Amino acid sequence: MTGVPAGASEDLVVRGAHVLDPSSGLDGTMDVRLADGRVAEVGEDLRGTRYLDADGLHLFPGFVDVHAHWRTPGREDEETIESGSAAAAAGGFTSVVIMPNTDPVVDKPVVVSGLMRRVERESRVRAYVSAALHEELKGERLTEMRLIREAGASFVSDDGLGTQSAGVLRNGMLYAKSAGLPVILHCENHSLATGVAHDGVATALAGIPGSPGSAEDVATASALVLAAETGAKVHITHVSTALSAALVGFFKGRADVTADTTPHHLTLTDECIGTLDGLYRVNPPLRPHEDRLGVGEALRSGILDFVATDHAPHASEEKELPLEEAAPGYLGHETAFSALYTELVQGGELPLRRLVEAMASAPGRWIGGAYGISPGATADLTLVGLSEEWTVREDALLSKSTNSPYLGRRLKGRVVGTFVSGGLVYDGIGAKFGARV
Amino acid sequence: MRNPRNFLTLEGASGEELKEILDLARAYDSAGRVGRPLAGRTVCLAFFEASTRTAVSFELAARRAGADVVSISEKGSAIQKGESLLDTVVTLDALGADAIVIRHPSAGAAALAAQHANAAVINAGDGCGQHPTQALLDLYALSSATGGLDDLADRKVAVVGDILHSRVARSVIPAFRAADMEVALVAPETLLPLEAGAWELPILPSVDDALDWGADTLYALRLQKERMTGARIPSVAEYARYYGVTGRHLKRGVLVMHPGPVNRGVEISGDAVLSGSSLIPDQVASGVAVRSAVLALATGAVEEAAA
Repeated sequence: MTGVPAGASEDLVVRGAHVLDPSSGLDGTMDVRLADGRVAEVGEDLRGTRYLDADGLHLFPGFVDVHAHWRTPGREDEETIESGSAAAAAGGFTSVVIMPNTDPVVDKPVVVSGLMRRVERESRVRAYVSAALHEELKGERLTEMRLIREAGASFVSDDGLGTQSAGVLRNGMLYAKSAGLPVILHCENHSLATGVAHDGVATALAGIPGSPGSAEDVATASALVLAAETGAKVHITHVSTALSAALVGFFKGRADVTADTTPHHLTLTDECIGTLDGLYRVNPPLRPHEDRLGVGEALRSGILDFVATDHAPHASEEKELPLEEAAPGYLGHETAFSALYTELVQGGELPLRRLVEAMASAPGRWIGGAYGISPGATADLTLVGLSEEWTVREDALLSKSTNSPYLGRRLKGRVVGTFVSGGLVYDGIGAKFGARV
Repeated sequence: MRNPRNFLTLEGASGEELKEILDLARAYDSAGRVGRPLAGRTVCLAFFEASTRTAVSFELAARRAGADVVSISEKGSAIQKGESLLDTVVTLDALGADAIVIRHPSAGAAALAAQHANAAVINAGDGCGQHPTQALLDLYALSSATGGLDDLADRKVAVVGDILHSRVARSVIPAFRAADMEVALVAPETLLPLEAGAWELPILPSVDDALDWGADTLYALRLQKERMTGARIPSVAEYARYYGVTGRHLKRGVLVMHPGPVNRGVEISGDAVLSGSSLIPDQVASGVAVRSAVLALATGAVEEAAA
């Protein structure tokens, strides 16, 4: 873990926000006093050295994104720790897990320790490093997971590729279990995933190679079976099909398994592919409407534990291409809450409380942080204006890249402030800290 | 026909059985000679798998006890020509062998041979199954170093390394337990059976943790070269860091054992092999007397001498 900015030295009372914290059960207008990087008090008419007027705003526990690509080291033209963490903070994220498919791959203790040092210096939010499960993500040689853990990594993953051999993956799970590292799994069977979009109506009509849902479902089923057998702590990331979600549900209680899905799989469908715009290429691909509904229902019911963005910046020359040649992936940090609030909460598919749980409390618990809005908890908080409306524009994004599938979309609900250890790491309202009144 | 007594496994062995063997071995050792309890008997060494130290040790053990020794190995014998285990055993039996010592690459081979032989069958290592005489000589060496078999009770031994593929582990674990020692296992899960819990022993994540647990004896297992390719352990460096026994572990009177041959710098460092805490030379030296005792008991030569 790390990248914890020093908390503000003076205490601060956030006044009059609607506090909603599923883990502590708080749901109402109140004051929250932050001191020494922690929540000091929750109540009415609290007194402090500084004040922030939050009337009409909502205060949530800080969002946690367990799946992001900050492209460092190697592709700092697309994202840096500075820009990625700025984008995360702007999206209300106070903790982020960064993935190892960089150049070089984060697969050696020395690479991990170098990255940890940079994260400590450059990140505005807490950043946890996921190192590779196998060298070069190739699914052959195990990485030195115990030395890697000592160097500071918190998770292991072959994200971006997925381990193809079940026997290799099984040993990877067993070794990760011995090393005390949870495994984050990108489930994709390469013998089935031969296309560039979901193998459905859009690919049929457009004449582009499709990857069927089975490419994900077969790999997910295999991973779940192995997780149950080995007892390893496994997290399945970016679940995009209704069947994979159902499989996760079957294995809840049979394996130490959690799972997430992404804002884009919850809000977009493969109809976008009809445009043949390279911007929309993503892996796993956007799925049909029924899958979007199935995944959404699994998130609502808790079968899918939380949301993760798979924030994947790409340079414009990798996206302004025919779909078949474009690099897969979308920006995620800055639009996650707004897209989900607009489409799912306002659309009546997901209660706000569950969205906050899925973006904050549940992933926060999973990474082992002391989250929540209660005295003593780390003061990682997200301040949101639910009535704010905004249009996603390239020039307003803090990421170094602009490959958002929501460009031009009008969204409701916006993060206006993000606190890490009580310090304001994103200020979207020109916050004026009032003196004592 | 005397009743042959097979030595196939230590699983389920009692302390009394082990004591009988080790006491006889000690009698041979202290007399400085074995006598010739096996005079006029024939011991056949049937090695279906390459072995140097075990084969030599058994051959010396048989000869010092006065036996005629016939030795067939995989190379230059009917075994190499594809003769089956059972045909070989039946042939040796028909030739009048009193004891057949078998080394074989498959677990259960010695037990199968015993079902078809009149001669006593002694397991000299079968696959990942059992290696009972190794464990007996280990107990002998350890009890010699610590005072006696009874003094092993309540000592704490950690068996470290590739337990999954180790016949030595499957023999020393029951042997140590039969001697009332406390046993812990130290290995990554990739080198343990899935159901390692069946042993009902603590499983510890490193040699350092074993010392924290209170281990006074570290039993390092050999890591085969083919296990070093990244499938089950990432690197020799990481393996050595957590599962390798080094000089710094041997303070405070901790003893180290290894069945050999050692991979220096992998499961044990060179300074640990050579240190005063190393019982490795004692283990090798114990082999002959212990195996003479096993052969004498297996063939009934001891009872005859006593009668």
